[in-house]
Amino acid sequence: MPPRGGTIAAVALRRTGLALWRMRFGLRGRRMRRRAVACQLRLACEELGPTFVKLGQLASVRPDLVPAEAAFELERLQDRLPPVPIEPIRATLTAELGAPPERIFATFDPVPVATASIAQVHRATLAHDYRPVVGAMLHAGATVAVKVIRPGVERTIDQDLAVASRWAALLDRVPRLQRLGLRSMLAEFRASLRSELDLRNEGRVADRFARDFADDPLVCVPRVVWRHTTRRVLVSEFVEGWRLSDLSDAERAGVDARGLATHGAEVFLRQVLVHGRFHADLHPANLFVTPDGRICYLDFGIVGRTTPQQRIAIAQVLAATVYGDADRALRYSRELGLEVPERDEAAVRDAVDALMRRHLTESEPADVRGFALGFLSMLADFRIPVPEGYGLLVKALATVEGVARAIYPDIDITRTAAPFATRLVAAQLAQPRRLRERLPAATRAALRELLA
Amino acid sequence: MTDFVRFLAAWSLLHESADEGWKAAVQRGEGLEPGRPGQGPDAFVDGLAALVNDEKERLKRELSTDDANEAAREPIRSSADLADKLDAVAFELAELRGRLESLQASVDALAARRDD
Repeated sequence: MPPRGGTIAAVALRRTGLALWRMRFGLRGRRMRRRAVACQLRLACEELGPTFVKLGQLASVRPDLVPAEAAFELERLQDRLPPVPIEPIRATLTAELGAPPERIFATFDPVPVATASIAQVHRATLAHDYRPVVGAMLHAGATVAVKVIRPGVERTIDQDLAVASRWAALLDRVPRLQRLGLRSMLAEFRASLRSELDLRNEGRVADRFARDFADDPLVCVPRVVWRHTTRRVLVSEFVEGWRLSDLSDAERAGVDARGLATHGAEVFLRQVLVHGRFHADLHPANLFVTPDGRICYLDFGIVGRTTPQQRIAIAQVLAATVYGDADRALRYSRELGLEVPERDEAAVRDAVDALMRRHLTESEPADVRGFALGFLSMLADFRIPVPEGYGLLVKALATVEGVARAIYPDIDITRTAAPFATRLVAAQLAQPRRLRERLPAATRAALRELLA
Repeated sequence: MTDFVRFLAAWSLLHESADEGWKAAVQRGEGLEPGRPGQGPDAFVDGLAALVNDEKERLKRELSTDDANEAAREPIRSSADLADKLDAVAFELAELRGRLESLQASVDALAARRDD
């Protein structure tokens, strides 16, 4: 076994032993057992480094593959890694930009302001004026965030992925594990990681996002300084404010929290349903509230995309969900690639109906997160494969509720989503092509009703 | 009556590739002296064909004038499109500038390494 493979196996064995001890070798209740396993799984990911942290983050948006307890626990993986010392960071900056940071920037702070599994962020100030792709000029002296890929992380990820590929191929031969689709999950994970390791991709998405919301004064996207941005370094405007994860009651009192939470939910719906690209790594640590009451989006490493056809179906699913119409939600989910076997259709519809009643229509405020997790787990129970991107979207919708609640705890996002989805569905139906398609069926239905 | 002729003219315009019989009737009708009754039902049909043909030509002119008006309006409508397209192209250009600046940073870094 190669050294890295040995390390991974050793950590896996030790954490399994600890989980067994914490659950008193199965003597504790089912919930405690699951919690113990989830906790050790998270600690193992953190111990094994960036690849496994990202794997854990990926698993946290796939509650159809892992138990709900694990999905909740793995969400805590974000931003918990210790910082890299400044010397390797300075070496990376020098290699990437051709000069040490002190010569590139007017000032450079060696103490990181944020650390994550892939990169860490330092504060600096610009030495010269810069005209960004979107937005006003950034003047010399402007504070910027310098995001640097953690040195050596690419090699570690390559090694880990090689080990993981071998294991996935072996585990895929076990009949009971085949339904997990480990190899396809790994392929998705590999593509996502490759994209995240090239910070220019994140800069491009940030620019596109800034353009999409250029007309929205309540949305702020940090301007990218391309002159100092390369594959391993991303320099962008430093936005002062409070992370949603750190937003205290006192800070919240200064802004229109309810309005901002509602607007934040609408902005997300616009991303998914109007612009066709959405921030898929949305969590309170990736969002700021600025002192002037704007929402600032950070970290565009994971982005979901929707085609115009998918947008129509998503709007319909969303409208059906917020109005509690299980039949319609499933019908349009099919257009998004969700294949429900004919023999299970009635049972799945009943299950969705029950979930909608429990979490949405009879819950005050509605619990979209509970519904989304329940829905995905139910699909897993019926062994219905989740189409690529569908799980990400469902989880993102659940997350947007969490984000909105971090700003305003009593918000009911179905009340925000309902008029938005209705307007969108109406606008889609009013298109001449759609009218032509729907008119004969609608006329027949109206005649049937009149003649009944 | 005018509406009826105009209706026939519109029909005729939609079926411009009319058969040779229709064309001959129009020609004969054009040759008839107007206002001379008693030339028989064939002459009446030929005369009507010529009348419809005249109306058709008038309709064609009107429609072409409308087309011209529409064409004249075109620049106004497309200037909004143009503004959108210009905005999109300006953004793509700015994006391209960003990419070039990023590449330049990488080239400068490589050059600095070579000089060391």
